[in-house]
Amino acid sequence: MTDWLSGALLIVGAFFYAAGTLGLLRFPDVYSRLHALAKADNLGLGCVLLGLALQAESLAAGLKLLLIWPLALAASSAVAYAIARRADRLGVKPWRKDAP
Amino acid sequence: MIRVLWWRGLLFACLWWILAEGRLDGWLLGSIAVVAATWASVALWPPAAHDVRLAALPAFLAFFLTNSVRGGWQVALMALRGRGALQPAFLELPLNLPAGVPQVLMTNVLSLMPGTVGVELVAELTNARLRLHVLHQDLPVVAEARALEQRIAALFGVSA
Repeated sequence: MTDWLSGALLIVGAFFYAAGTLGLLRFPDVYSRLHALAKADNLGLGCVLLGLALQAESLAAGLKLLLIWPLALAASSAVAYAIARRADRLGVKPWRKDAP
Repeated sequence: MIRVLWWRGLLFACLWWILAEGRLDGWLLGSIAVVAATWASVALWPPAAHDVRLAALPAFLAFFLTNSVRGGWQVALMALRGRGALQPAFLELPLNLPAGVPQVLMTNVLSLMPGTVGVELVAELTNARLRLHVLHQDLPVVAEARALEQRIAALFGVSA
């Protein structure tokens, strides 16, 4: 049962990673790409870590895997802010559908 | 003050226990690390300024988890549909939270919520505001940002 749940979470995580990468490739400007990385990839990471933690050999090892998530979330949201702010300072305009 | 030190020390001790995967032979180094981390946390985030209400933490975490999943799912669908699904815009949101940790937390969490990425936090005293990039201008991001603001205000026991 645990193995099935773990496997399902790993597959869901892989889907979100794939979607995040797809967004990185397909979205038109730096700001939109940050959305894909900051949200889809982080959700993918959360699913993968939860899936792996279910298979951990000890409670501490499982918690260690889960601990990666908040740390990666904090880092990626701070980095997304730093990149967006720098792009804005440099005068990068957000992509508009009507004026490509 | 003593109570805050005690709680933070306990938190860092738990972190060490997790990092050492429950082994007992590293606790000499571990206790040094716990003391150093507690000291650093007091220097960087002085107690009494904005303390987290533990009672409000579960509701905040539930709110955050739900919205992370929604945000990830939404942007995943948009990535599958391509750039035709986007109608991006900049948005300026006045902030009602006090400066410091609450505003920074708001900025960071908004980047993980559906549709928004923080671009610039302007922490002026009377006119604090946050510039946001929104994936689609029709998304109800202002209402969701206000809901988040209420959660963060409850978390720190302040008014927003």
